[in-house]
Parts: sequence; structure tokens; C-alpha cells
Amino acid sequence: MMPSRVAIVDFVQTKHSGHLAENVQELTFGVVKKLMDRVGIDRSEIGTMISSSADYWQGISCSNSYYYDSAGGNLKSGSKVGEDSAFALIYGMMRILSGHYRTALLVAVTKCSECPSEHTLTNLSADPFFQRPVGVNGLSVAGLQARQYVHRYSPPVDAAARVVVKNRSNAAKNPYAHVRSTVSLDDVLSSPPIAAPLRHLEVPVTSDGACALLLADEQTARELCDDPVLIEGVGWSVDRSFIGDRDLLKGALPKAAAMAYGKAGIGDPGKEIHVAEISETSSYHELLWSEGLGLCKPGEGWRLATEGISSLEGALPINPSGGLFGANPQVARGLVRVGEAYLQVRGQAGDHQVPNVGKALAHSVHGLGGQSHSVVILGH
Amino acid sequence: MAQAVAIIGTGQTECGKRFDVSYPELIREAVTRAFEDAGIGPEDVDAVVAGSMPPAMEGVNNPHLYWASAMGACGKPLMRTATCGSTGISLAHTGFYHVASGMFDTVLVVGGEKMNEGDPQGTMATVADPFFQRPFLAGAPGIFSLQSNEWAHRYGIEEKRVRMAAARISVRNHDAALSNPYAHIRIKTTVEDVLNARVIAYPVRLLDVCPASDGACAVIMASEEKAKKLGRDQAWIKGVGYCGEQAFFGEGDKVVWKSAINAAKSAYDQARISNPRKELDVAEVYNPFTFQEMLFYECFGFCDFGKGCELVEQGVVMPGGELPCDPSGGVLCTNPIGATGLQRVSEVVLQITERAGDRQVPGAKTGLAHAMGGLDQFNGIMIISTEL
Repeated sequence: MMPSRVAIVDFVQTKHSGHLAENVQELTFGVVKKLMDRVGIDRSEIGTMISSSADYWQGISCSNSYYYDSAGGNLKSGSKVGEDSAFALIYGMMRILSGHYRTALLVAVTKCSECPSEHTLTNLSADPFFQRPVGVNGLSVAGLQARQYVHRYSPPVDAAARVVVKNRSNAAKNPYAHVRSTVSLDDVLSSPPIAAPLRHLEVPVTSDGACALLLADEQTARELCDDPVLIEGVGWSVDRSFIGDRDLLKGALPKAAAMAYGKAGIGDPGKEIHVAEISETSSYHELLWSEGLGLCKPGEGWRLATEGISSLEGALPINPSGGLFGANPQVARGLVRVGEAYLQVRGQAGDHQVPNVGKALAHSVHGLGGQSHSVVILGH
Repeated sequence: MAQAVAIIGTGQTECGKRFDVSYPELIREAVTRAFEDAGIGPEDVDAVVAGSMPPAMEGVNNPHLYWASAMGACGKPLMRTATCGSTGISLAHTGFYHVASGMFDTVLVVGGEKMNEGDPQGTMATVADPFFQRPFLAGAPGIFSLQSNEWAHRYGIEEKRVRMAAARISVRNHDAALSNPYAHIRIKTTVEDVLNARVIAYPVRLLDVCPASDGACAVIMASEEKAKKLGRDQAWIKGVGYCGEQAFFGEGDKVVWKSAINAAKSAYDQARISNPRKELDVAEVYNPFTFQEMLFYECFGFCDFGKGCELVEQGVVMPGGELPCDPSGGVLCTNPIGATGLQRVSEVVLQITERAGDRQVPGAKTGLAHAMGGLDQFNGIMIISTEL
């Protein structure tokens, strides 16, 4: 029998940090053990294990070889999806929908503290012939994108900076966040330019972190917990390889969102989504990705910030967890977004809980200027 | 159970030192051929799956994003799967689940590697953990030679006999590669040549080892409805199996090798195969090292444990035998690692659809494709048959 719906049973994350003392094996073991203990199952009830990590972001080739057993996969069927751990959720879901497995254990891990700088690693994402020699990397493309945003939409000068103030303030309420100190608008605006118009405080630092999430078909999920959260829609899409071939303010995100909304039956995301966890790789990216997700009109993402709509108390809170400004474990961050959205639907997000969440959105991104996006919609 | 999944097209590049093309150009070559084979275009594809070995192999982070335009993937869902040496078969599995889940009708699956861009042994040396294993397990031949010696020792197989059987496998594969236009190493060898080749890591000699290749492979999968509509309903995925094990080499039994046994068992159960030696017509076994292939015969149930040599000596796994293995020349002659497992799938499809040219196994209807990876850690299987 092929099940028609897949649900999240539980989610566990590390307390993220700039430098976690545990190694990758210990981190994965820790989150998986805690997850299984909390659900009250042992490994015999795990159908398949899908992990997500990346070799450059782990400093080890074939990164899942190193933790396959510590992540609970020993003598089980499994796989690894690269770069964006939200894909682990999507692949795990597919495996359950096929009817081959009742449960899927998802594990994501990144230790940025053991890698070269993200600027070096994202420079390696640029093709070696044309883009790499001119210094294209994640930060420089984010700067180009922000510049284009300012040029095309003329937002108020402090709009993007407000995203940082909001997210850092939210992160202070999230016990799992890495960065828990707040900043003022003045702090952000007076920090030095790093890739103009982006300023130093407008780009998240990198983190170490891991998380684990248990998926099950709806019936099994109801046996394992009282209040499973359903995956209502998933979508993902990719853009062209060369940044010059793209409109950096449009991109693949609207397609990814349309796919997820189509499956979830969402017609007006700005009204029907109650909370969104967005991978804001810079301050401007939260504005841009909000538009790409259709949470507001194109060119009006900045209003979500300046009018307080995206604040914790606003009409459509974005990144109540603090988002990437709270914790940014490069590959693991996608599944962390899903996990935070899950906590919101479950009503278990603690001090950063948004009241009465019916539907939550999790977004993740990787590649230069957001070449690849994924969107997950959760609900009851 | 899962929705039926057909393979409606395959495309392979010529492999070797491909300095004539860039990495994305190499990928495009395989993808274009797969589309030509399936009789469809990129516009007909609903999703794309892509993968390779560690990106350090070519020095490009996010290789799937580098390939996106070359695969015609732009504006479509694209997912990267990577599981070391077993990447190719894991890609095939990922594509299978895209369709089997009911989420997509037509999926393009792409694997590639351009190993001559970088330092393959250097990249693979860092698969081993940095603290305990890396200092003495550097590179690929080390672990496989340890495994081969353990296997021969466990069953008390005479050294001369093991070496002779391995040499015959080497000659068989090299001969077969001469009939495969995509193969990398295309030389005529003799048993004497193999036995006298220089030692790489005892007992593995130069002609017992695969090359480092540039190459790509693409496979297009479709739902039953789509495949029938296109009239491409001749190759069906009947079973998929995968199993991974411990990170530390010394913690598992690599002779009665559980990951290989479990992967085959899952795939056989799904395909309802109880006697693989009789029910399979052809097998593409992942054999970067000749000795290891005999161990796989045992773990896949082609013979009893400790009897792998006999299959070679009796000709069972040789051309014209009961279960011919590696008619493509196998991994031993061509190994662009991210593509290699997918090449096994592609070759089985060509065999059962009787389009394998000079390397055709007459009357093949059901075949096994296999790949292995990690630190002797991962095994994946796919059973493909003409019968739905």
C-alpha cells in the first residue's frame, strides 16, 4: 500500500555554536539518540536513513562514510543528499510514499569551524574559467544582488538592516541559537561595508550544528505521537549555472514555491501561511526570498520589515527562531528551518512561539545568489 | 507497493582522458545521448537527479549546480545524491523513488566524474577518518587488498589459485572492453601479463586495478503510463537494495559482507528472485579490483561462501556461461566514479533490450547492476527486467 501523506514525528537539534567540541560522529550520534529516546523507539523501527552533509563543508571526502553508523544507519538502507539538508526531508518523504518504508530518519550535520572560510568554499562553487578568477563567491554575489535590489526597488535605507535587528532579537529567545546577543539599528548601519551595500552585520556568521528528524507515514506517525505535523507540500527548483545568465532578483524560487503551494492547495500564501522560516543568507535575501515565495508583491519585501509585518508579533512572522542570523550551519541549516517550522505548528517553539500556527513554511537555499531553492509547507 | 518505474533511455560518453571537453560539456554529451535514445527532450523532463564523487575530485564545489545548464535542468527540481563509490547506484535509486513515490512522471538521472582534473587518490585518501585509519589506509587499493587477503585466508584458498582466478577475470574484462565503444582501457591482455604485472598493494597488481577515468552517464526513468505512451516499456526496475555499515573498517566482517548481502537480499525480495544464478541472465558487478569480484559472487548468492573461484574456473561467470558478468568490460576498465554505478544500470538496460552490440549476451531478460562505496562500507543493487 502506498501511503498518501507523510508526517513529522519529532525533531531534535544541537545547541548550535561557533565551535562545538564534539566531532561529527558524536554530534550525529547525540541528536539521533536523543530523538529515538524521546519518541520511545529503537533502531529496529527505523526504516531508512537519509542524511545530508557536504564534503567541502566537512573537510572529508564522502562525508557520510564517516558518520553512517553513528547517525543510526548501520546495516540499513540509506543515502545522502548534498548541500541543502531540506532535500533529506524531500527524499525521505519519497521513500515513504513509495511504500517501501514506514519511517525515515533524517540527519544533517555541518561543522563550519573545521572548514576553510565560507568565502573560499563558495568561490569554489564558481566555474573555474570565467567567474572564479574575478572573485565570485557567496558574499560578492549577495552584494551584487543587494545592489540590484536597491537600484530596482529603492527601499528605505534601513529596511534590510531591520531584518538583522529583528532576527538577532528573535535568536535571543531561542535557546538553540548560536548568536544570542541583540543589536540596534544603529549598530547594523554603522558596521563597515563588507560587500556594498551589505554591511558587516548584515551577513550571518557560520556555525557548527546538527539535527535529526523522524518522518513516518501518517498512520505510523499517529501511533508514534499524539500530534504529528503533516508535510502538505514540497517544491524545489534550480537556476542557470552562470550568474550573468540570470535575473538575480527573480530566479528559481517562484517555481519552487509554486510547486509546493500547488501540492498544499495554497492560493494566497501571504494570508494562508502563518509563519515562515527563511534561509536569509544576508539581510537583503530575507526581503528578496519573501518576494520569491509570494509572501508579498515583488519589490515590496522591504515593507514586511519596515512595517513590522515579519516581526514576532506581526501578521506574518519570519524567522522567529532567529533564522541564519541565529545559527548558520551551512548544510544542516535547511533541515533546521524545517524543524523550527515543525515546532511552530506543534506549538512547542517556547519563547519564540507564534500563536495559532496552522500552516508554516520552511525555505532553504544553496548555490551562488540562490541558484537552488527548496520550499516545504507543514500543517495539521 | 511502489509505482512501476521504467528506464526509457540511456546515454554514455566515451571514457578516458577527456581533455577535449570541459566538465559541463562532458555531462551534456551523456545527457544529449540519453534524450536521443528516449526520443524526448529536456522539456519533457519533470525533475533531475545528479551526483558525483567528492567535489574535491574536480575542485568545483556544488558540481550539480555547475552542470545545471548542461543538463537542461534550469527551472526544474534538481537534487544531488552522493554516496562515494556507490554514487551511481544511489543516483539510480533516487531517480527510482522520484517516480515510485508518484511525485514525478519523467526523471533524468545524471552521474559524472572528470578524475583527470585532480588527484583521485589524494581525494580518496581523505575518505578515511583523520585520526585512526587515514595514516595507514590511504587511497583505495589499501583496503581492498586487505579484504582480498582476508577472504583468501578465511577459506584457505591457495594463493596460486586465487591469483589465477583473478587474472582470468582481468583478461575477461579487458577482452570485453574491446567490444565496448565507451570503455577507457582497451588493451589485449593475457593471464601471464596479469600475473607478472607490478604489485600495487599485495595481492593487487596493476592489471587487477581500475583506471581513473573521465566520463558521464545519463538515464531517463518514467512511470508506467508515460513509458507505455512513449512505447518505451522494455526495461523495468524490479528491485532496489542498499545497505551501509560501520565507518571503521575493522568493526565489520568484510568477507561475509553484510552490506553486500543485505543489499542483494532486499533487491531480490522485491524482484521475487529466489535463485539469482538461475534467474539472472547477466550481472554488472562493481569490480574496481579483480579479487573483490569473487567475494561479491558469494555475497550475492551466485554460489556458496568460499566458492567464488569455482565460478571463474567452471566458466559460469565467463562469456557464454550460465551467468555472464561484466560484458561491458566493467569497472576494471572504466571508472569515472560518479558515473560508474549508473553505467552498470545503463549497460544492463542495453543488454536486456538487446542493444548491446558486440558485447550482447544472447537472450538476456533480467540483469543485476551493482555499485560499492565508502570505506568498504556501502553496497547498492538494482534489478532490471523486460517483464513488468
